[in-house]
Amino acid sequence: MTDIKGQVDALPGTDPRAPLLQINDLHVEFHTRDGVAKAVNGASFWLNPGETLAILGESGCGKSVTAQAIMGILETPPAHITQGEVRYRGVDLLKLPEAQRRKVRANRIAMIFQDALSALNPVYSVGFQLAELFRVHRGMSRGDARKRAVELLDQVRIPGAKSRVHDYPHQFSGGMRQRVMIAMALALDPEVLIADEPTTALDVTVQAQIMGLLAELRRERNMGLVLITHDMGVVADVADRISVMYAGRVVEEAPVYDIYARPGHPYTRALLESIPRLDLKGQQLSVIQGLPPALTDIPAGCAFHPRCRYAKDPCRQDPAPPAYSIAPHRTARCHFFREVLGE
Amino acid sequence: MFRYIVRRLLQMILTFFGATFVVFALMFANQDDPIQALAGEKPVSDNVRAVLTERYHLDESFPVQYWYYMKGLLTGDLGRSMAGRDIGEMLSGAWPVTLKLSALAIVVAALIAITAGVWSAIRRGGFFDNSTLLMTLLLLAVPIVVLAPVAQLVFAMELRWFPATTTARAGLYDLLLPAVVLACSVMATQLRVTRTSVVENLRADYVRTARAKGLTPRRVTWVHVLRNSLIPVITLIGVDLGMLMSGAIIVEEVFNIPGVGFNLARGIRAEDGPLVVGFVSVLVVVFLVVNLVVDLLYAALDPRIRYE
Amino acid sequence: MSDTRSRSLAGDAWTDLRHNKIFWASGVLVALILLMAVVPSLFTSADPAVCTLANQNQGPSSTAWFGYDFQGCDVFARTVYGTRDSLEVGLLSTLLAGVLGLIVGMAAGWFGGVVDAVLSRLTDIMLGVPLLLAAVVFSGRLSSPFEDGVFAVTLTLGLLTWTAAARVMRSAVITAKSQDYVAAARMLGAGPARLVFRHVLPNSIASFIVVITILLGTNIAAEATLSYLGAGLGGDAISWGLQIAEARNYARIAASPLVWPSVFLAVTVLAFIMLGDAIRDAFDPKLR
Repeated sequence: MTDIKGQVDALPGTDPRAPLLQINDLHVEFHTRDGVAKAVNGASFWLNPGETLAILGESGCGKSVTAQAIMGILETPPAHITQGEVRYRGVDLLKLPEAQRRKVRANRIAMIFQDALSALNPVYSVGFQLAELFRVHRGMSRGDARKRAVELLDQVRIPGAKSRVHDYPHQFSGGMRQRVMIAMALALDPEVLIADEPTTALDVTVQAQIMGLLAELRRERNMGLVLITHDMGVVADVADRISVMYAGRVVEEAPVYDIYARPGHPYTRALLESIPRLDLKGQQLSVIQGLPPALTDIPAGCAFHPRCRYAKDPCRQDPAPPAYSIAPHRTARCHFFREVLGE
Repeated sequence: MFRYIVRRLLQMILTFFGATFVVFALMFANQDDPIQALAGEKPVSDNVRAVLTERYHLDESFPVQYWYYMKGLLTGDLGRSMAGRDIGEMLSGAWPVTLKLSALAIVVAALIAITAGVWSAIRRGGFFDNSTLLMTLLLLAVPIVVLAPVAQLVFAMELRWFPATTTARAGLYDLLLPAVVLACSVMATQLRVTRTSVVENLRADYVRTARAKGLTPRRVTWVHVLRNSLIPVITLIGVDLGMLMSGAIIVEEVFNIPGVGFNLARGIRAEDGPLVVGFVSVLVVVFLVVNLVVDLLYAALDPRIRYE
Repeated sequence: MSDTRSRSLAGDAWTDLRHNKIFWASGVLVALILLMAVVPSLFTSADPAVCTLANQNQGPSSTAWFGYDFQGCDVFARTVYGTRDSLEVGLLSTLLAGVLGLIVGMAAGWFGGVVDAVLSRLTDIMLGVPLLLAAVVFSGRLSSPFEDGVFAVTLTLGLLTWTAAARVMRSAVITAKSQDYVAAARMLGAGPARLVFRHVLPNSIASFIVVITILLGTNIAAEATLSYLGAGLGGDAISWGLQIAEARNYARIAASPLVWPSVFLAVTVLAFIMLGDAIRDAFDPKLR
């Protein structure tokens, strides 16, 4: 498979020693009738092979937009990437011509979406939609591509793959549909898989199955997995590291156990406190006061300050807090991280 | 799927009886003296009157006349026109050229409407989009009764690019001008529906998925978006056929094409009741059958309906 | 609550319309056409009924701007006077279709169940007969040589074209019925009439107006088509369709008697369709 990939989709300039995926200072703006919405304001993170990075945040914090910017599937207009780099193995994808960019998609970096029912084309069988990848990217014959499609459905543990390959998306259950999405994303053996809220639309039991499947496939293939979610509970078991996003910025980045034990940013702390916990049964659940800011009108300084109980004057003034290195492999964009850590 | 077909079939049978009843009732309602109408100003002898009354069951009551009408329709015996010709024979002689004309018109309309519709949806708000919008407005506004004679005057008589009239054995090129005129009656709606539908589908989530799969924009549009967008356009074909039938009456009359519409137009002018009702009834049946076929086609295009 | 909502929607739509050039252009055209129909003598001093064979097929001149037709009638005068019958048929048949559609649609939507099933089937049946085909059967012999046929054609078109209005009203009523505030009003004992006038109509009037405006255009075109075929206006009526039918045979000798009624007919239909389009754009929040 790697041979074919080398021939068909050669990407010049890749450096095997460079990080698998590195996002630097990414800015994305949406030009709308109501003004410029700053969806992503300097997001930065990296990902290594075999690693799972969870990107955590409330809806509207720019995590999905970041993912789509990495894939290069933002609708332009209204979206514009105004600044930053998306480096895959050292190559800045944002500088690649569209034809080469297209070959990166699905081949090197693939993505699965939240709602598999609307993300799959309703009028084509899942077999067609899977086989399409092999036909377009690998130039396979119809029959061979169909055979590969069945294999893929098998790999994501869909029972009766041989007959189900002819079925249409609406004939699958929610969980099975998400498995089809995963199969589609893994078809061309990508090295990076971005999963945008892959289990949000599913029942709790099915959620666990899908997360388990993703973790297993990642291990088997030594893929880098970017898991986008708003649910801290989901990521605890699967993720290696967590990047917490707020108003288009990564406000804290840390290995998963550190962050659960001692959050370094007030926002992370608030998120953790809003998870229902068995040992705190009977106590009132805390909620984060206020709402995330409108992206057309992000507060000066630290964007979280209007909702923050640690906020003092420096927080309300530009520039925004830098990424303080608060521990080995840990950063937080908070002037008062020491207080938050409880030191 | 099977239940869907059965349900549609039952619906069609009901509509068939309803629609033919409407046609018959309409005719019956304004029947004053068809025999006198046929003869015009001249007096009609009692002998002739008796024969005609007998032939068309004119002295029978409404239910009896309806019974004869339905019997004729279901057995394929459409009777004789006022001028004494066999209506079934007239029809079978006339339909091939009409079929050719309308098929050509449908192809012309669909080709232009779908291509232009997709294009203006992709470049919505652009120059092409705005000019197509203007063009569809004009097409909607100019009725065929205007378009046909003017097109004949300009392109056939003055510019002489096309023949002004044709025969029953007309070739495709001879039929091109009338077919284009006929196509104009349905093109505008088809184009607008295609455009709206493509615009909506371009925003759909599955388009994002298709792009994430590394497909070319062309493949995304013409394979993924188009098939979804065509579903509402297909349903239009049924309605369009009604427009085409009405349009064919005018177009065939203007361009002297001896088809179904031409005969019907003559029948109307000659106030030949049996001929008009016979032709209209058959056209209504064709219309219903085609609409049924369209619904099945719709199911074939949209798997969500197929497995209902 | 519904009142302020619908009023603000109407207000928004009006603000939108006021800045819409197409709305103004079509509005002015419609006004001009209406004026022409009511007082044709304002536009021409010639009598459309006075025809002198000596003038047969004469070209345009200062006295007759569009020349004379085969019968020696003033083409401009006849075209202007033709507006009246065309609009009369168009307006009255649309009014009839609108009222029928309103009643059928509301009854089907309001009562649901069997009433809805029967009325919806009836609508299907009406849609099963293409308009023109039904019209030629119906109005064919209603117009004897001595009548102008205005009544017959109006009745025919009105009885055959109510389906679109009925469908719009039916779905509007069903939507309105399921809305919370209407359900609440029903529970508070508001009668059907009150509900319809206070809640359903204000919310559905926009789509109804659009359907009706466009129907006006198509009914005017249908009248011309029927008249052209000899199944419409006749007698001493002046109709663009009749003019076109007559002029067609002499089009190579004199194009003007064919061209001008055609232009007037097309412009009239265009004006109504554009008006309907502009109103739809103003009321359809999806397009904003």
